[in-house]
Amino acid sequence: MPIITISRGTLTGGRAVATCLAEMLGVPCLAREVLQEAARELNASEETVRHKLEVPPGRWALLTRDRRRYLLALQAALATQGASGDLVYHGLAGQFLLRGLPGVVRARLIAPLELRVRALITAHHATTQQAAERFIRHVDRDRRRWVRLMYGAEIDDPALYDVTINLRAIALETACRIIAELARQPRYRLGDAERAKLAAFAATSRQQLAELGG
Amino acid sequence: MAIITICRGTRSGGEALAACVAERLGWPALGREALQLAAAEVGVTEEQLVQKMQEAPRLWDRHMVARRAYVVALQAALAERVAEGDLVYHGVAGQLLLRGLPAVLRVRLIAPLQTRVRAVMERDGLGRDAAARHIARQDASRARWVRMMYGEDIADPQLYDLVVSLETMDVRDACALLEAALRQPDFDLTPAVLARLAEFRLACRVRFALVRDGETRAHNLEVEAHGTTIEVSGSAPLLTSGRTGERIAAVARAVPGVESVRLKLQWFDPYP
Repeated sequence: MPIITISRGTLTGGRAVATCLAEMLGVPCLAREVLQEAARELNASEETVRHKLEVPPGRWALLTRDRRRYLLALQAALATQGASGDLVYHGLAGQFLLRGLPGVVRARLIAPLELRVRALITAHHATTQQAAERFIRHVDRDRRRWVRLMYGAEIDDPALYDVTINLRAIALETACRIIAELARQPRYRLGDAERAKLAAFAATSRQQLAELGG
Repeated sequence: MAIITICRGTRSGGEALAACVAERLGWPALGREALQLAAAEVGVTEEQLVQKMQEAPRLWDRHMVARRAYVVALQAALAERVAEGDLVYHGVAGQLLLRGLPAVLRVRLIAPLQTRVRAVMERDGLGRDAAARHIARQDASRARWVRMMYGEDIADPQLYDLVVSLETMDVRDACALLEAALRQPDFDLTPAVLARLAEFRLACRVRFALVRDGETRAHNLEVEAHGTTIEVSGSAPLLTSGRTGERIAAVARAVPGVESVRLKLQWFDPYP
C-alpha cells in the first residue's frame, strides 16, 4: 500500500475522505501527529509550528530561514512515518513534502464555493453566509500565497496531483473508493526499496535541518 | 451505468484511455464520429465544421450564428447517444456540452509536456521545437474556443469531476481509476436520470430545429424541456408583425415528442 496524501481545497471534505480511506485500507490517518513530531524535533510548540506553516510571512518579509526549518522538520517527520508503515496524511503541504518519491499517491479534493460555504455553516452554526465566505477566501488566499512562496507553484494546478476530485457531484465515499483503487495499482506499491528511499530522504532532510542550525 | 466525457489536449493519451474504459465496461466510445454526425446534419464537411469550431473567434465575429449552429448540431448529435445511456465521449467540449446533467462523469486528462511532445514527434515526424509549437497552437485554439463559446477556462479544475494526471500513472492505471468511479452509485442510470436525459435530448432537438429555421436561427434562444413541455427563453426582436414568437412556437411544436410550448422571451426593439 502506498502513502496517500490528501490536499484539502474544501475545508471539510479532506478530513472525511482521509478518515474513510484509513478505515477502508486499515492504516493510520495522520495530520496533527506529524506536526507534533516536527515540533518535538525543533523544540518548539505545536502552535508555533502550525502558525509558521499556515500563515505566509507579511508582504515585505523575506522567506525566513525559520520557515524552511519548520518545513524540513515536517518533511523529515512524515518521511520517517512513511518509512516505517502505511499511512494517510491530510495535514499541511502533503503534496510537496514527499514530491518525487515513489509509492506516494497525491490526491486533491476541491468543491465549489457554495458547497464549502454551506458545509462551514453546518459545522459552525453561528456563522453567517457572509462570514463563512470571507473566512474561506481568507484561508484560500493564505494557502495560495504560502505555496507560491515556498514552492513557486499554484496550489490549484492539477499537475501537482495524481488526481483532483471535485465533490460537487461526487460523494465522499465515492472519492474515497476512487483513491483506494488508485492506491491498489502495482505502480504505487511501497516495497522495501521504496521505504529505504523514504528513510534516506528523512535522513537528508534532518541533515539539511542541522546545517541550517537552530 | 453512466456517461463519461474525457477532455484532453493533443496527444495526451485521451484516445487510448477512452478505448480502455470502453472496453472494460463494454460501452460504445464516441469521438470524432460525433462531429461527422453533426456535420452531416448541417450539410457541411467535417473539416469545415472543425475549422469553424476550432479557429479562434475574432472580437467582431460575423460567423457567430453559423458557429452557434454547429455547436447546437454537435450537442444534438451527442444528446441522441447520451439518452441511450452508457457512453464514453472523448470528442470536443464534452464537459460543457453535457453540463448540468446527472450521471455524467466529466474527466480532464493531463500529461507532462515532454511526453506529449515526444508523441507528436513520433506520429508526425516533427522536430522537438516544431512539435512543441504544434501542441501550443492546438491547446491555445481549444482554450480560446471554450472561452468564446462558454466563457470558461478549459484548464479550470472546477469544470470537471475528476482531473487525472499522467505524470506518475499510465493510461492503464487511469483506466482502472475511472472504472472504479463509474461503478459507484453516484453514476447509476436510475429511471429519474433516464427521464432527465430524455428531456435533454428533446430540448436539444428543439434547439437544433430553431437554428435550422431561417426565421429563428439568428436569435440566441435557450431551450429547456420539462417532460414534454418546452420552454423557450432568451431575447427576440419585437416586430410589428408579431411573427417571431409565433414562428418560434411553431418550429418547437413541430419537433416530434413536443406537446406544448411556453415562451418566456424578452422582447427588444430592433429599431430604437
